[in-house]
Parts: sequence; C-alpha cells; structure tokens
Amino acid sequence: MSQHSVTRYPVSLQINGERYDVDVAPDTSLLDVLRDEFGLTGTKANCLEAECGVCTVLLDGKAVNACITLALQCQGRQILTIEGLAHGGELHPLQTAFIECGAVQCGYCIPGMILTAKSLLDTQPDPDEAAIREGLAGTLCRCTGYQKIVDAVAHAARQMNQQQSQIKTTTTGDRQ
Amino acid sequence: MSANYRIVGKSHPRFDAVGKVTGKAIYGTDFALPGMLHGKLCRSSQANARIKALHVDAARRMPGVRAIVTAADVPCERYGSFIKDMEVFAAERVRYIGQPIAGVVARSAAEAEAAAAAIVVEYEALPAVFDPEAALAPDAPRVHEDLLQYKAMPTVRREGNISNRARLIYGDVEAGFARSDRIFTHRYSTCMVHPGYTEPRAAVATWDSDGRYTVWSNTQLPFEAQNTLADILMVPASQVRVICTVIGGGFGGKLRLGVEHYVAVMAKACGRPVKMVTSTEEEMTTAYPRQPVIVELKTGVSADGRILAKQGRIIVDTGATSGSGVGVGSSSALILAGPYRIPNLLIEGLAVYTNKTPTGSFRAPSGPQANFAVEAQMDAIAEAIGLDPLEFRLRNILRDGDVAPNGQQLGKVSLEECLRKAADAIGWADRKPGPWRGKGIACSWWTTTSGSSGVYVKVDPDGKVVMNTGCAEIGTGALTGAAMVLAEDLGVAVDDISIVSADSTATPFDYGAQGSRTAFAVGNACRAAVVILRQQALAAAAKRLDVAEDKLTLADGKVSGEGKSLSLADIARGLQLSGGGLIAHGTFIAPPTMYDAKRSENMVITTLNSPSFHAHAAEVSVDPQTGEVRIEDYVVAQDVGFAINPIYVEGQIEGGVMQGLGQALSEEIVYRDGRVLNANLTDYKMPTAVDAPRIRSILVECPSESGPFGAKGVGEPPVIEPPATIANAVAAACGCRIADLPITAEKVATALQASPRA
Ligand code: FES
Ligand code: FES
Repeated sequence: MSQHSVTRYPVSLQINGERYDVDVAPDTSLLDVLRDEFGLTGTKANCLEAECGVCTVLLDGKAVNACITLALQCQGRQILTIEGLAHGGELHPLQTAFIECGAVQCGYCIPGMILTAKSLLDTQPDPDEAAIREGLAGTLCRCTGYQKIVDAVAHAARQMNQQQSQIKTTTTGDRQ
Repeated sequence: MSANYRIVGKSHPRFDAVGKVTGKAIYGTDFALPGMLHGKLCRSSQANARIKALHVDAARRMPGVRAIVTAADVPCERYGSFIKDMEVFAAERVRYIGQPIAGVVARSAAEAEAAAAAIVVEYEALPAVFDPEAALAPDAPRVHEDLLQYKAMPTVRREGNISNRARLIYGDVEAGFARSDRIFTHRYSTCMVHPGYTEPRAAVATWDSDGRYTVWSNTQLPFEAQNTLADILMVPASQVRVICTVIGGGFGGKLRLGVEHYVAVMAKACGRPVKMVTSTEEEMTTAYPRQPVIVELKTGVSADGRILAKQGRIIVDTGATSGSGVGVGSSSALILAGPYRIPNLLIEGLAVYTNKTPTGSFRAPSGPQANFAVEAQMDAIAEAIGLDPLEFRLRNILRDGDVAPNGQQLGKVSLEECLRKAADAIGWADRKPGPWRGKGIACSWWTTTSGSSGVYVKVDPDGKVVMNTGCAEIGTGALTGAAMVLAEDLGVAVDDISIVSADSTATPFDYGAQGSRTAFAVGNACRAAVVILRQQALAAAAKRLDVAEDKLTLADGKVSGEGKSLSLADIARGLQLSGGGLIAHGTFIAPPTMYDAKRSENMVITTLNSPSFHAHAAEVSVDPQTGEVRIEDYVVAQDVGFAINPIYVEGQIEGGVMQGLGQALSEEIVYRDGRVLNANLTDYKMPTAVDAPRIRSILVECPSESGPFGAKGVGEPPVIEPPATIANAVAAACGCRIADLPITAEKVATALQASPRA
C-alpha cells in the first residue's frame, strides 16, 4: 500500500470483465491493488520480486508477475485473475484437471500455476511434456514435485482440444 | 488389499480442492480484519554483540507509526522447547544477524518497514563463532554464557556451546573393531536448507480489553502456539485462542512460533488488530532451516561383508538457539545406526550453538543429513570390499522380528522387499548403462510420530457429517485421508463429510500436523468416534424400530435389521429432540513403543513408532566437462502400511523426493561470517518444473498394527534418501564420491579433475 504523502493517479482496470477505478501511487504494484484495494486475494503474494510466480495473472491474455507490474501500466487493459476463470460456477477444464489429477496440495502456487498453464495452452494447445515443464518453470511449487501438475495440464489440454473439436463440429460458437 | 473396502484404498479428491483452485481459500497472508494495522521488525545487523543503546524516537515520529514494542513489552524472559534459550526481542545481547530487537506497528506495511529501518541500535561487537567444530573448543566464544541457568528439560546434558550430548550405545565397539577384517572411517557434511513453503509465515492478532488474545495464523500447531503464546504473554492458556487459516505449506517450518508472538504483543500495545507477514529475505535469513551437520563414521566389517561395529559422531549446528536441534541430535543417532543389524554401536549426537539463525524441524528432521552419511559410507565400503552395494545392504539389513539398534522390538520388516523392488525397477543388474551414467541406491527407516488426537464427529439432521479436528491441514491431504477412514467406518460417502479444523478453542485437542502422523492419528480418532456413534445410533434405532440392538447393523448411511431400517438422518433428527444430537468424541493415542533404556543416554527421541522402511534408486548421468548431474530415472519403494488415498500418498512421495533432490544437488543457504549471502529465491535454488525428474512410486503395504487399516506415516520419509541415492549414483557414474552436500556441478567437476574416470 502506498503512503499518504505521495500523489495518486487515477487508473481504470478491466478485471475479470468488470471495470474497477482506483487512485494509486506511481510505485503501486498490480498485486497490491488486486489484493489490498479490491480484496482479490486469489492472486497470491510471496517473493515480490518475480522469482516464485505465485502472483501470476493474465494481462491481455499474457502471463505476468503482478508483483512487478505497476498498476498504472494496466490502464484500460484486460486482467484475468483466478477468481475470473470459472464461468457461472462451472470450473475451467484446468481447474477440474488439477483436482482430478491430485495436483493440488497446499494450493498456494496453484492460482499462479493454473493461469500460467492457461496462457501456455492458449498459444500452444497441444504441448508435449517438455513444453509444459518449460512453460511452468517460472512458478515454484514446493509440495507436489510438479509431476501431477504437469499431468493435469496435459489432461486439461486433451479435454479442451476435445471440447474444441466438438464445438467445431456442432456449432460455430467460439467459447474457449 | 483395498478390494474389500468401499472407500479407503481408492484415490479420492481432497476436500479443500475447489476453494484452492478458485482462489477462494483464505490463507494466512490473505487474512484481514477491519481497522487492521501492520507490523515489521527491526533486526540485528550483528552476529554477536551487546546492545549498548536503542534509539526509537525518530522511528516513532515517522508517518503512520502507531506503536513501537521492545523487550520491555514482553512479560516473559525466555522460552523454548527443550531449553528456554529464546527471546522474543533481544534485550541486552544479540546472537545472530537478523535477531529481532524491536517491532513497529503502522498503518501500512511499507510505513512500518520504513520506521523499523529508522530505529538506531548501538552495538558493542563480541567475538562470534560460526563453525560448529570451532564452537566445541574450550576457549570458543560462548553463544550463551548463562546456558546452565536456563530452564530446560531434565534429559538434556549441556556444556560449553553444547545444548545436548546424546548417545546411543551398546555392545563393545572396541572389541567389534578388533574382530573386524576392515575398518573404514569417513567424514560427511551437509549444509543449511530452507523448507521452502511458498506462503510466507503470517499472522493477525487481536487483543481485547478483557485480556484475551485471538491469533489467526498459518501455524502447523495451533495448540502448541496457544501454549507458547500463553508462556510468553504470561496469561492462562484459555486467554489465547489460535485459529489456523488455510496454510500454504509447512514442512516443519511452521511448527514453532513465526510471527504470532510479535503480532500478539503489538496488538496489545496499540489496541488494534495487527498483521505481519515475513518477507523472502526474512525467510531465508531467520526462519527455521534444516540444521547443517558434520558426521564422522567408523565402521568395521568382516571379510564376508557383515558389519561388526560402528562408531560415529554427528555435530548438529543448531544456530543461536537449540530449538529442535536437541531432538535432531537424538533422532540422528537412530538414523546413523541405520536400518541395520549392528552388534556393537556407539553413536554420539551433539547439538551445538553457533552465531547463526535458529534452526528447526524441516520434514524428517535429521533424516536426510544422517542418511546421506550412513548410506554413502555403505557404498564406499561395498566398493572397497568388492561387494555389490545392494548385496552388502541385504547382508546387513534389519529383518522380521529383529531387535533394532535402540532395543526396540520389530515386527514385520519390509526393507528387503523395498530394496528389491526399487532395484528391479531401476534395472540394477545393469548398474553402469553407459559412459558417465550410473545407478545408486539407498534405504532408511522412519517413524510415525505418536501424540494424541481427538475428533468430534457430528451427524447433522440431513445425514451429513461434520468432522471437527484440532489438527491443521497443511497441504498434504492427510485430513482428506482421515475423512475417508471416517466415511468407510460410518458407512457414508466422503462427500457427505465436511471438516472443521485447527482452532485451539473450538476444536478438540490434537498433537498436530507434524511427524507424518495426521492421517494415522486423526484417522484412528475417527474410528474411535464411529464406535461411539454406532452405539448411539443402534440404541436409538432399537427403540424406534422395536428391534433388539444386537440384530441391527450400521451400513450405507442407515441402521437396519429384521427387514426394518432407519436412516442416520432420521436418527440424528430424533436425537436432536431427545438426546443432544448424534455426536461423539473419538480419541486416540498410539501405544507406546518399548525400547532398551540402557542403550540411550540423554536421548530425547528414543524410538521410531510404527516404523516405515523404504528404498530409493536413481539413474544419473554426469557431464564430464561441467560436472552437471542429470537425473535420468528415479524410483521410490516405500512401505506406507496401507495407502488410504493412493493419489495423495504418491503426491507426498513426489513432493518429498523433490525437496530431497534440492538438498542433494542445489540448495544451500550460504553463510559468510554469520551473514546469509543468498537471501532470495534466485540464488537459493529450489528445483523448478524443468529440473524435476519424473518419480516412479512403488507403494509397499506392510500393515502397521496400530494404523487405520494398517496405514503408517507417509509424509516425511520421501525426503530422507535422495541425497544419499544421488551421491551413490554419481559415484557409480563417474567414480567421484562427493562427501559434502549439495553435490553441485562445481564440486563434481573439481573432483573429476583430480581423478577422471568414465
Ligand atoms: S510474488 Fe510475484 S513472483 Fe513471487
Ligand atoms: S501445492 Fe503447495 S506450493 Fe504448490
């Protein structure tokens, strides 16, 4: 949180499809705004210097570390946090896969892991194991040894590709 | 084995998964209260110094500051587990860099941090000691001059900088060495490693005018936190309530108070809720890392490869306070004896003070360090006497009905099965599958920690069940395992059960999430609760159905007999009207493990309860140019007794192995002159998804007599063998035996330069 003596600037953010307006100090991170101003604590905090990945959110679809992203850099941009991933109470295939594959232990790395995986699958829908590991390498997990997380991402990719091909064959819809 | 059971033995999703994948779970770092302020600490910049003066006035005038607290605000002088050698704030003397001296409360964490930096401490530097062997010298600087005046458990034996000297001793080692054909002496050392939980330690405290404290924290042990806080604050324990938030990993690093005592003192000082979260730098410099050790082992063997005598000493560097180091010094003797038959033994475990950060109980405290030494030496000896390392182990391992080194009577011993299964899976027959490639094996034994557990189990009027336990879920999934045991016995579905946990006021006592005991002990308490619930349900149903109790059975969520039945929901509704509901308090305490007291001197840990046995095998390749070690394959054969929830048993193995591999290959808190040089997550190298090999888990099920459905402790063992396994595989691959952890590329390359061999 910023100190009172510093000038604050208005910024408008699109978080999980909703508009949020707030005044922030120039050095306020996106992470602090999400967690402290808006109570979106699903985005986790740990190292605060881009080393652990638990704070990962999607900024215009790309995975970024919210701890080193300035709130003012995000003016008018689309931010997806873990709270925005499930649609109408229905879990995203990645969330379901993480549960089914036993990929969740303490869970503290999981929001960052899932969003990192989403950005990977959005650009590379059918990654092999090496590509998944490469894609997740910026997010530390201390509980799982990564194995079931890697399996969950591969499982979700298959589910999503199947859904995708079903959608293509039945409708022209573009839901991801 | 699981075929007969409805629920246990089959994988089931964890109860708290949805909250964790949707971001709804509230962890310690997330918890907030209205009007909450933030605390930060001013820490020592000196490794050993007298505090000449403390100037807080400038800090007090900084923006946003609401209170400053020091030793004067803390009622108790010293606290601690085995020896009361810890201070909340240093009063007159600091003993390590990072030791808290004062705390600041401000509107924001940034303001508190700025003010903490403005506190001025005048020091008078004193000579410090950082090397535990140097600390043993009679003229070494004393970390605690008044050590003998501190309150301590009567078992500990203190002297100089030694906080305890424990011995495991029997037979006559000199006679054993005299009879030996070969005698080997080796020295091994390990370094300090961090548990590495991804959620920093965090707590929020409130203090009410009636003198009550409430603390929300990510501690593993709410009841221990309650009692320690009561000691520190000098109030009755009933005036302290500790409630666990969701916990982002612990691994033993969140057993002891982290920030709870600071926020409690601060909350009283300013009358507002106060929150504190540790920074990564604080984590890497002042958390409770694993103790570095130095081990010397002397082992005598016969020409045919039988161990005749073993003598050893382990020096456990506990840092500036003894913490759990006293226990580590003791349990390491059991691990150094190894899961082996040894006719003559003398192991000494010294816990030694140095001017470094206080250490703690990271997963399987003493396990990886001691096992690295004993298993690396086993391989060195096997090579020297021309025996296959597996064969050498098989000639010496403990077997069914043996008496273990501590005099403990063993039942069935699954070690040979574990060793053979791991060896078969890795393809042991071909130990050197190519140039610069090799395979290694290591084995050990470990405990299922005892201590009591209690649960309240309540059936709601809709037939759903509430399991109320004092144990915290630290991430392992063990409470889901306990709920599966409950569901199996009660005849309901796992999804019918919801869990309330870890609140020192509202939940029944539990010894806590530590020592691989949660599923074991809480599961057993659930079984005890079902016995009572069944009696209540049958008695109630007998009346309402007019059927004799002994004709009734409880299954599938209902009580039935003689063609009539009543659902648990019905019974629970009826008992709400007539008997206070369908509710039971189930308790469990593990039966004591007998041992030979004559064999242990000053040991604070004397037995391994419901012992588990395990073997790890790895294939590695070594880059002859860079010395870099690559893990090509990794197998674990672990006796889990009975796998209640196999997917999470595997998860424990995979995660534990990865922590062990970190210690084996890359992790080290690097100290120079008492200062940590790598207090960040880039220079402290934990394995990433790219470094992590695939782990193949083989679950061996040799049931424990006292575990639920035969289950044993699962969580700690996997972290024990990786350093030894990798060291032995590296030796097989390139001929270099690295005796000092971590086995970095640099050390391997240097060793290769001295004696290259493919
Ligand atoms: S908190 Fe942002 S990367 Fe660690
Ligand atoms: S699940 Fe605990 S850090 Fe990944």
